[in-house]
Amino acid sequence: MISKYFYIKNNNFIKLLDNLSADYRVFIPQETRKNYFWKKYKGNFEFSRYRTVNPLRQFFTSSVEHINNYFNPKTPKETKPFCIVGAKACDLGNSLKMHDYVFLEGDIDLFYKEMRDKNLIISSDCTSFKETCFCLALGNMPYPEALFDLNISQVIDGYLVEVGSKKGEEIITSNKSLFEDANNKIQAEREANRKRTVEEFKSQINSLDFPDESRLNSLIKNGYGDKLWAEEALRCVECGACIMNCPTCHCFLLFDTKDKNGYFKGRIWDGCQYKNFTRVAGGASALRLREYRLRNRYIKKFEFFPERIKVYACTGCGRCAESCPGKIDIRKIFKTLNENSKTVKK
Amino acid sequence: MNIYTPNKVTITNIIEETPAIKTFVFKPGSAFSFETGQFVELTYPGIGEAPFTPSSDPNKKDSFEVTIMKVGKVTELFHKAKVGDELGVRGPFGNGYPLDSFKDKELLIVGGGVGLAPLRSLIYALYNRINDFKKIVICLGARSPQDIVYKYLLEEFKKPKNVEFRLTVDRADSSWKGNVGIVTTLLNKLPIDTKQAKGIVCGPPIMMKFASLKLLELGFSPKNIHLSMEKNMSCGLGKCGHCRLGKYYICKDGPVFIFDDIKDMWDIWD
Repeated sequence: MISKYFYIKNNNFIKLLDNLSADYRVFIPQETRKNYFWKKYKGNFEFSRYRTVNPLRQFFTSSVEHINNYFNPKTPKETKPFCIVGAKACDLGNSLKMHDYVFLEGDIDLFYKEMRDKNLIISSDCTSFKETCFCLALGNMPYPEALFDLNISQVIDGYLVEVGSKKGEEIITSNKSLFEDANNKIQAEREANRKRTVEEFKSQINSLDFPDESRLNSLIKNGYGDKLWAEEALRCVECGACIMNCPTCHCFLLFDTKDKNGYFKGRIWDGCQYKNFTRVAGGASALRLREYRLRNRYIKKFEFFPERIKVYACTGCGRCAESCPGKIDIRKIFKTLNENSKTVKK
Repeated sequence: MNIYTPNKVTITNIIEETPAIKTFVFKPGSAFSFETGQFVELTYPGIGEAPFTPSSDPNKKDSFEVTIMKVGKVTELFHKAKVGDELGVRGPFGNGYPLDSFKDKELLIVGGGVGLAPLRSLIYALYNRINDFKKIVICLGARSPQDIVYKYLLEEFKKPKNVEFRLTVDRADSSWKGNVGIVTTLLNKLPIDTKQAKGIVCGPPIMMKFASLKLLELGFSPKNIHLSMEKNMSCGLGKCGHCRLGKYYICKDGPVFIFDDIKDMWDIWD
């Protein structure tokens, strides 16, 4: 058993990413006008202060992919797994837990399993936060505590590396010369940095008037008839940005296609905010109104998943609020549901 | 194993039930069996897929039948298919009818339109052990006389001594001599103890709603009403998210539900 903590200098970290590029498709966050987007690693790495705009799940389930060539099975081409550097806590935690439940419980989805087994996650602490970030309000920390292979925390001239898995341990072992022991001073520096970020973050969270996270489930359960759903849904333009950017949305649609090589089934990310999501042959649709669809999204995340696996399918990343052109904001929805729940209904 | 890969099936016969409904007989390319009430996903190769509940006797192992109404893009293609064509099948999926809980009971089966498809399979399964049941009352409704499916089987359905068979049409034509009215009009003066009996309802959502409400009115317990729910299942495996109803996935936790388990949910009839 090797140690849990290591130190790596900035230049050695670049060497590590170069080495990893031999076995992995390495992706890093790249900043464009204060937003980070996943980009292929090309020799430069800058530490990201907060989460990317697009979620990590794109490396575990593709937004569009062929999943079989039926009646004519062929072995698919081997592709390199992903190494994702700079994933934040809000892309791990409940996001991976609920994805594991959906795709690995019962009938195992081979595509997800392969990605989950082979992909390497090098996560990192947040040192700042965006206006829409609210992970703390859900009781989640802005630094990864589990479900990573390696986690890096920015310290002087380099990173404190925490080992989180067997896979992570193997990366350290096979790149031993790049790592140094992490002394107590470096570990203390990480703790101080984390504490400072959380303290700064708290003032943003406190100004939200967000209800206690233990009450979110009951607020949704008792809020089916709330007028807020209809009011908020008026501004929904059905673009689906909240779905595509959400780390816990997992819905997909199977489709069929063909070419000279045969018949294929594919799958494409789908979601309950789209009009035809629940449409059946003949035209009936359970979620035919935007207000039903908006409410449905919250039922799934705050009622269905807690019922099944005792976690909210929400990590507090705030991407839905950030990307919504209609300014539908999860933080405001819970605040309003909370306020409305206090007005006595007779 | 890739859970999304369909197996090949060959069409061996096509029965025209009504102008819009056909029953397809399939010979599976590999071992296939289902329990009555379970559903399958049928693939039209390269074009699309749709969920159906087989309408044949679940005890028949060498073939299975699916009754398809022409309502959309994929079902129209199925209707154009010919004997000998190869399609794909995935499944069976979900939970079927809890036959064992029907033992020694009086049963009321209420069906409407193409909802008769799953019920036909259920009727076969029940008739295979007909002496297990005290009494079976079957009430079926169709839009018009020409919309009645399985006309050629109705006499057979009436045969067992402990079965009472009722049929109605919404709109009669000049040749029709039977009942006229929606299916709930058949539910009066039932020769069963409604407080103890099991009710099984399958049909279009609006019919299921009013039939269920009628059964409650007649004294049925919500725990004794079994509904076959319809949603747009895509994967059939509880993964794609399309068919979720509250805390359930229709495809995995259903499609057959006990009314009591879902009655408090929002908009279950949509």
